[in-house]
Amino acid sequence: MSEKIYAWLLRLYPSRFREAYGEEALQLFRDRSRDETGFLLRLRLWADLLSDLAVSVPREYFHVQPGLASFSAHLHPEGAPSFFVFADESLGPGALFFGGMLSIAALVTFSVLLNHGVKYVPLSALIRPAHSSSKARSSPSFDSSAPKTANNSAEAASESKQSQPPEAASTPSQPAKGAAGRVHGSAKLEVAERRRIVNAAAAILEKHYVDSDSGRKMAEVLRVHEKKGDDNQSMDGPAFAALLTQQMREVSPDRHLTLDYFETPLPQQVAGPTAEDFARYREVMQRRNCTFERVEIWPHNIGYLKLNSFPDVSVCQATAQAAMASLNNADAIIFDLRDNRGGEPEMVSFMAAYLFDHPEYLYNPRENTTEESWTHSPVAGNKLADKPVYVLTSGRTFSGAEQFCYDLKMLKRATLVGETTGGGAHSGAFHRIDEHFGMGIPETKAINPYSKADWAEIGVEPDVKVSAADALETAVKLAQTRLQKK
Amino acid sequence: MPKQKLNPLPSAAFQILLTLAGEDLHGYGIMRQVAEQTGGRVRLGPGTLYSSLQTLLEAKLIKETEAHEDAKLGGERRRYYRLTSAGRKLACSESERLADLLRVARSRKILRGEYV
Repeated sequence: MSEKIYAWLLRLYPSRFREAYGEEALQLFRDRSRDETGFLLRLRLWADLLSDLAVSVPREYFHVQPGLASFSAHLHPEGAPSFFVFADESLGPGALFFGGMLSIAALVTFSVLLNHGVKYVPLSALIRPAHSSSKARSSPSFDSSAPKTANNSAEAASESKQSQPPEAASTPSQPAKGAAGRVHGSAKLEVAERRRIVNAAAAILEKHYVDSDSGRKMAEVLRVHEKKGDDNQSMDGPAFAALLTQQMREVSPDRHLTLDYFETPLPQQVAGPTAEDFARYREVMQRRNCTFERVEIWPHNIGYLKLNSFPDVSVCQATAQAAMASLNNADAIIFDLRDNRGGEPEMVSFMAAYLFDHPEYLYNPRENTTEESWTHSPVAGNKLADKPVYVLTSGRTFSGAEQFCYDLKMLKRATLVGETTGGGAHSGAFHRIDEHFGMGIPETKAINPYSKADWAEIGVEPDVKVSAADALETAVKLAQTRLQKK
Repeated sequence: MPKQKLNPLPSAAFQILLTLAGEDLHGYGIMRQVAEQTGGRVRLGPGTLYSSLQTLLEAKLIKETEAHEDAKLGGERRRYYRLTSAGRKLACSESERLADLLRVARSRKILRGEYV
């Protein structure tokens, strides 16, 4: 083994030396390792060999060169460019093969990098599919996949940051983007640049912030800081965004209020849904029966409804009505929302309307109280208003579905069975400042009529805590017991 | 070029010349002999040893004799090296130069002992 290592090390010598003395050097190594046994002697042997290598290898090469130099000077007095091969033998097949493979590998690497690096995918292209399947109108909604809220956009941006580094890397090579295409990631921001961002942020605050007094105050603070030169210590995009966020929060400690830096350029406008999107949405909803996965009457006349989202009322009203009508004669209803990721508050209200015999207020943290906050109860011909209701939940139950759970729980209209829900009640809107800066600000915050906090971050606690897998069985048993008591 | 390499005579080359003054030796033999005559202080590594031998051969201060086996080590055939008359002369003059130095050192009381 050690002889092999030494043989390999011998390759460091010029081939001229190896040919003449390589075998003898190995022989000497063998002699020494035969005679010098024991740990210390071995150690000394290797120390000798390595120090010998360090001294003699450079000397071997050094001594070759003066000869060659004088040779070349002698041959080319006119100074014509020429190449000299230092080794005096031709390249071996191994070296040629290795060099060839290395060249091919380099070529492939470059072409792959070029392909991925040059391709530019605007962020809107990444977002649009989510749009089409989930959201068709511009009213504020709970939707886990809509790109509207600050947090969602931040997620989308951070996702694309991770999954698409070539895109970010390609930005500087987009001269067509002009001034807006500058990347601030690591570059320091110019004063004018900072002033522009501060002014844009201030304008957004003044126009959109939920409390207009605080909004004005924050805008003022941002401008004052900028004028005083507090932002002057030159910094990069992320640090600047963090500083502005901190300045805004000095006025109002609002954790939904952020100014963020995005490495990946933000699209010109967070694209609103187009007619085409809407048509696609309608088609998807029709194909999936508006996410009413199962509507069945079970033994003991228990109605079971598995609903996987709260789709747009204008598209799915008929489906929802049909589903509820088919359950109309049930003695109890189980809403299975374990796979429900949210949707439109209007559908939440539409569905809940069947469970009351009078208009009931449904709290929605995103919207101030409007006419829409009240259910359109009673629903003509509906017999479910006084029937026991069970709602199955899981950790995946999210956003609008949580509104359904939360309000029915607070109104003591349903028994929640399953797991604590996901906790998605983001109530912010996203505003683009330029390609790399954007703000998430809460615009509306309805007053919670209940003393308990809403489900943002913490989720909705079920009344009967069981695993999501056992939730259905538990709810069926509860319903049966209750119906038998009657 | 070899002349340049040997002027001044490197210590390794001088040691090799001295070892070969007594008998013909192969590489490993030279290495052991050098170690012996320096009290183990100098252990020539293969690189240094063979590049010195090469230089000495090119300068015709030593020559290769017919390869044969070492009776003690056995097995492989080894190249043996022998001092040429030029080599002997160089070793001699180098020794004298050192001896002169030694005299000076002793006269300056840097080194104790008899004048040689």
